[in-house]
Amino acid sequence: MRKIYIFFLLLPFSIWSACDKSNDPSRVVIAGGSITEIVYFLEYEDKLVGIDVTSNFPEETSEIPSIGYVRALSTEGILSLKPSLILGEEDMGPPLVINQLKLTGMDLKIINEDRSAQGILEKIECVSKILGITTQERLNKIKNLTRDINLLQSIAKKNEDKDIRIMLILNMQGTSPIVAGQNTSGDGFIKMVGGKNVASNFEGWKPISSESIIAYDPHFIIITERGMSSFSDIESLSNTTALKFTNAAQLGKIYSEDGMAMLGFGVRTIKTALNFAEIFSK
Amino acid sequence: MSFFSLEQKWFKFVKSSQIKLLAFFLIALISIFFLSVTLGSFDFNLRDLLSRKSDSLDSIVLFEIRIPRVLLAAFVGASLGISGASLQGLFRNPLADPGLIGVSAGAALGASFVIVVGSSFFPEFIFGTFILPFSAIIGASFVISLLYIFTQGFGYQGITYMLLVGIAVNAFASVGIGILTYISTDSELRGLTFWTMGSFGGSSWQLIMPALIIISLTVLWLIPSSRKLDLLQLGEPEAYRLGVDVRRLKFKVIISSAVIVGLSVSLSGMIGFVGLVVPHLVRLLGGVNHNYLLPGSALLGASLMMGADLLSRILIQPAELPVGLITSAIGAPFFLWLIFRIRKS
Amino acid sequence: MSIEVNNLSWEIEGKSIISNISLRIDEGEILTVIGPNGAGKSSFMKLLSGDIETYFGEIYFNGVLLNDISIQERSFIRSVMSQSQEIVYDYSVKEIIEMGWLNRGLSNYSKDFDEAIQKIAIECSVENHLEQRFNTLSGGEKRRVHFARTLIQLWRPSGSLEPRYMFLDEPTANLDILHEQKMMKLIEKKKNEGIGVLLILHDLNLAAKYSNRIAIFSNGELVDIGKPKTVLTDKTLSSIYGLEMKIDKNPFRINYY
Repeated sequence: MRKIYIFFLLLPFSIWSACDKSNDPSRVVIAGGSITEIVYFLEYEDKLVGIDVTSNFPEETSEIPSIGYVRALSTEGILSLKPSLILGEEDMGPPLVINQLKLTGMDLKIINEDRSAQGILEKIECVSKILGITTQERLNKIKNLTRDINLLQSIAKKNEDKDIRIMLILNMQGTSPIVAGQNTSGDGFIKMVGGKNVASNFEGWKPISSESIIAYDPHFIIITERGMSSFSDIESLSNTTALKFTNAAQLGKIYSEDGMAMLGFGVRTIKTALNFAEIFSK
Repeated sequence: MSFFSLEQKWFKFVKSSQIKLLAFFLIALISIFFLSVTLGSFDFNLRDLLSRKSDSLDSIVLFEIRIPRVLLAAFVGASLGISGASLQGLFRNPLADPGLIGVSAGAALGASFVIVVGSSFFPEFIFGTFILPFSAIIGASFVISLLYIFTQGFGYQGITYMLLVGIAVNAFASVGIGILTYISTDSELRGLTFWTMGSFGGSSWQLIMPALIIISLTVLWLIPSSRKLDLLQLGEPEAYRLGVDVRRLKFKVIISSAVIVGLSVSLSGMIGFVGLVVPHLVRLLGGVNHNYLLPGSALLGASLMMGADLLSRILIQPAELPVGLITSAIGAPFFLWLIFRIRKS
Repeated sequence: MSIEVNNLSWEIEGKSIISNISLRIDEGEILTVIGPNGAGKSSFMKLLSGDIETYFGEIYFNGVLLNDISIQERSFIRSVMSQSQEIVYDYSVKEIIEMGWLNRGLSNYSKDFDEAIQKIAIECSVENHLEQRFNTLSGGEKRRVHFARTLIQLWRPSGSLEPRYMFLDEPTANLDILHEQKMMKLIEKKKNEGIGVLLILHDLNLAAKYSNRIAIFSNGELVDIGKPKTVLTDKTLSSIYGLEMKIDKNPFRINYY
């Protein structure tokens, strides 16, 4: 029991020093799709020995052993891969397992997530520091990405003045959409493209009623691809649900996008955000 | 003054064939224990272990991770097995099971409630102290009290009625857990999904030791009442006339079940069907008297649960399946078969 | 030694079930209670068994108030057989009979036990069914098994002088004529061994034949109590049963029309 208190006492320190260079990044296990994406971006993927199920991009990830769902990891399973470094985000779990891994002396780094363009950049820099990436090629890639981020931020600033209302849907629970409220990755994405989240009155991902959909009256609606998997296309989605009463539906402004590419806050999110920011700016 | 004493020693009224079976169960338990401890996703280097490098990773995985986990599985399996057996005896109903009648759900609800509500006040304390197991026990006791009231003190009401109450409680608990899931923040949620699927992951000695001790004591306290459970089968008035303090027996079984099921659920989530299947298997193998049935259910439950945990660890390694999935996959068809069998007779 | 009942009364929700009954049951006698349905016979037996906690009046077992005797002690003094409930699990006949065997500190699970079970099983004509599953028996056979259990409960090592009593509510229900007579003869035998028997029977001729005394109940009251030939009269019986009855004296026989 004492060890658990110490663990939590050290937690703030571990976040602060989370980006320290790892002593031995030769066998890496990752629990978090965005981090896996970053590792591929930095061309460090041949050191990966285990990834979780949210790490499904790019395609080559299917060849790496799976450690299961990010919130339901197995201590022994991870240890059996003999990792030298474990990377993950705050949603790694269950807490008991994370604690156990730390207690075995495993180098476990939890990477802070700040859901913004700047946050993504910091995440990439943090990971590259941990892995000890110094080659010029990779550093150039980061520089190029920074250019994209600057472009994104300028378009987003312009969008902010236009007061663009956006509703972001995770999936449909029957005919009720699960919508991004405050403090969600969806909310973060909307802010990134310079829009205003219609769901300003609740926290977390919640299902909302048809009346609320109409009351929100968004200019644009974004839904994840998996979220509309039970509908053949966007038209049938809007026709068979209350979405059809929105301006966005009538003007054809409903878009679907890969969930991880948008909400993972990895490398792809920058490109995805840039894409949407440009669409919304018109 | 009568020279008769009252202590019903458990080893009376056990057939010799049953004693042999119990010995067999014990041997099976020890074998499965060793199997579970040696098999798993992590490969041990025996030489390292034997040369007693106490800080080597192998040693830590074996002694601090795997063994506590297997022990917890054994104790939870024993708890669910013996609880199912004693509830089936108390209710005089072969379909009683801590899961079906809502006791597990009540425990999970109690624990979930504390996770969501408590985490706004003391996040670090939840898993470390006894608040969580305690609230699980309260939840389990609450459900059993409801059952007591609705079956008028566990009078013989027939299978349907008891199952109806169980269904109602399970529904109520689902609603409760659903509401808690809804109002919980994302970080609390990761704790809630665990309850419905069951898992022995993350077990450590500090976590399980108090529970193992309490479960052992409770089981030892319960077993001497086995003969009284036999007498109860004749009916409450009959048992009473044969000298059984029926009210005290009811409370004993209730409290034992609430404690061991509550503790089990608080440590490993809801794992279904074990309390239902194990006593029937034990009866099928050797007979129905409770002096044999109760210890047999504990032993067989422990073995089956260790086996299920082993499967959950190796089937999709290095990932894990929730152990409740495996027990349900085996238990659900067995449950159906049981219903048909009862329908026939 | 005997059971003494003084001014026993019992009511449920204001309705009087038993009203001011006083009587005595001696060791070594058969006292049979007769009367129409609803007369309170079964309730009376329940009260004496100790099933019911609150009532008016006193019940003494061998000079001690029933309420002062612990639940376990009571099971050593009296055994009861009444309507049986369904047995859910597959106990064998032998196991059911064994349930009457109360734990005795000294000769626990000894040779006595096996002999006693065998002997009583033979007395009750169920010795061929001992290893069978109880639930496969017919209604009458099940009755005999319960009776065997009731007898085992009162079993004592020979030479014991402990006073014991047996309460039987319609023990011959569901039995064919042969087994009915066999059971009554067995009850008589136990009486002769010194057990005090409280019997409830609906068959008046059976009651007349085997009882030492008969107690007549009607509407919760004790109408009369005494030797069969004394209390069983045309007038009494016809009035409480509402049926015309005529009694032949020699041989003693109750006829109804």
